Amino acid sequence: MTTGLSNLTQKTNLWPWLLLTPLALFLTVFFVVPLLDVAIMSFTHPRPTLANYERALTGALYQRVFINTFLTAGFVTLCCLLVGYPLAYLMSIGSQRTAMLILLLVTMSFWTSFLVRTYAWMVLLGNNGPLIWLIHTMGFEQTPQLLFTRFSSTLAMVHILAPYMIMNIYSVMRKIDPTLIRSAESLGARGSSLFRHVYLPLTAPGIANGCVLVFVICLGFYVTPVLLGSPREQMITGLIGTQVDEFLAFGMGSALAMVLLFVTLVILAIYHRRFGLDKLWG
Amino acid sequence: MNTFMKWLGIAVVIFIAAPLVIVVPMSFSTARSLQFPPPGYWFGYYEAYFSDPRWLVPTWNSIIIATATMVLTMLLVVPATFALVRHRFRGRSIADIMMLMPLAVPSIVMAIGYYSYFGQLGIVHTHLGVILAHTSLAVPIAFLVLSANLKGFDRTLERAALSLGASPTQTFIHVTLPILRPGLIISALFAFVQSFDETVVAIFISGRGAETLPRKMFDSIRQEADPVIAVISTLLFVAVFIGLTAPLALAAIRKRRDRACPA
Repeated sequence: MTTGLSNLTQKTNLWPWLLLTPLALFLTVFFVVPLLDVAIMSFTHPRPTLANYERALTGALYQRVFINTFLTAGFVTLCCLLVGYPLAYLMSIGSQRTAMLILLLVTMSFWTSFLVRTYAWMVLLGNNGPLIWLIHTMGFEQTPQLLFTRFSSTLAMVHILAPYMIMNIYSVMRKIDPTLIRSAESLGARGSSLFRHVYLPLTAPGIANGCVLVFVICLGFYVTPVLLGSPREQMITGLIGTQVDEFLAFGMGSALAMVLLFVTLVILAIYHRRFGLDKLWG
Repeated sequence: MNTFMKWLGIAVVIFIAAPLVIVVPMSFSTARSLQFPPPGYWFGYYEAYFSDPRWLVPTWNSIIIATATMVLTMLLVVPATFALVRHRFRGRSIADIMMLMPLAVPSIVMAIGYYSYFGQLGIVHTHLGVILAHTSLAVPIAFLVLSANLKGFDRTLERAALSLGASPTQTFIHVTLPILRPGLIISALFAFVQSFDETVVAIFISGRGAETLPRKMFDSIRQEADPVIAVISTLLFVAVFIGLTAPLALAAIRKRRDRACPA
């Protein structure tokens, strides 16, 4: 009986496969096949041809939307870093109480649905909203158009994605050994040089993690850009949506989706080779 | 602390908090459209939400779909996680990556796939279709939570039970499962929330027969910005607040009680 456990784990190599089979079958039928369907449609709809890819990669409209998507995702990532890094730093050096309160706020934001937060920005930036009211109360006459612009969707995306950055950086900062900082100080590192040569390199894994995550999620973000963005400056997801939903152009939508998927997977694969994919969400 | 950093921190905190707080007063507003400051306060939109089938039916759909997704996800993920964490076999690292794939594929890509494929199967716009799609999207999240728990599991406890004469099945039921319970609960909750919040796939496949709450909210925000959304937002926000602070509050109460009678 003492060999029971090793029996359970070692004796037969069939056991792990038995445990894995239901999930493997499920994911094959309800994840891999639909994904393959998109791949196939991109080559065959409306007829077997490479024309969809040719248009997706060379058409002026599609190129403009792709470039806009990358620039937006890059800018949102940069903003999240600029907002998230100082806050994570304050959490790591502040009192335990401050850190707890900020962490609770960031976690609340993280768990509040994308839709609720997108709607909240719609309320905040609306033509009769609090921000315009504040501008009026302060005595300014002009009312700028805030909603449905590049500004409103970018702001909301930064707000929605910042928690991913903050939590990644904070978890790295919290684990930094304070003796490293002290010994650097004792060796004469001060202020900006201490930050540049010691603190920043130590927090780099958290930054890399946060940036990859925010950039990749932003590339594939649908809800916020569609609801808050300017119709003239679409993101690729919005364009894919209209192709399929309004024009029933499944082939074109699928080709664009495959390009988006390809870019996303390349970024994740590079990250995986460097750090390991399970670290990204773990 | 550097005063510049402190003010910057306060600004960031306001930036994060403001959108969460703003929906609460708007939900009590008498304004017909979004207006600030609210012209007056009432409970009218709460009443409207709780009596309008156009909102209640999607809410129920979401609860049913999320519950079924949670159960199905756990049935599939728990055995698989045991296999991947506790066994060494060829192809294990590939299986590991495959489990995370649904998280890596942008949801709009899957949305098109399900729209077309479930159309062919005849289960688009049905509860079943949404449950199956949501389950495959919930798998990686449930797996990540559970595998982290299982990796930290002290297996000497199982060995002790076995050496004392328990059968492998008894050990699993009386030792392994109870220790793993918090991990299982959190993993199941994550699967539930993933399904309840999922919007993009639901926009494409949940219409008519199985409209979910996020899909209804999305359509409503896009078309008319019905103030009832402020009510739902407030309710969801309160649910998140309770979900996050309840464990902290319970821990604090337990700690105080332990201090009161250190038996």
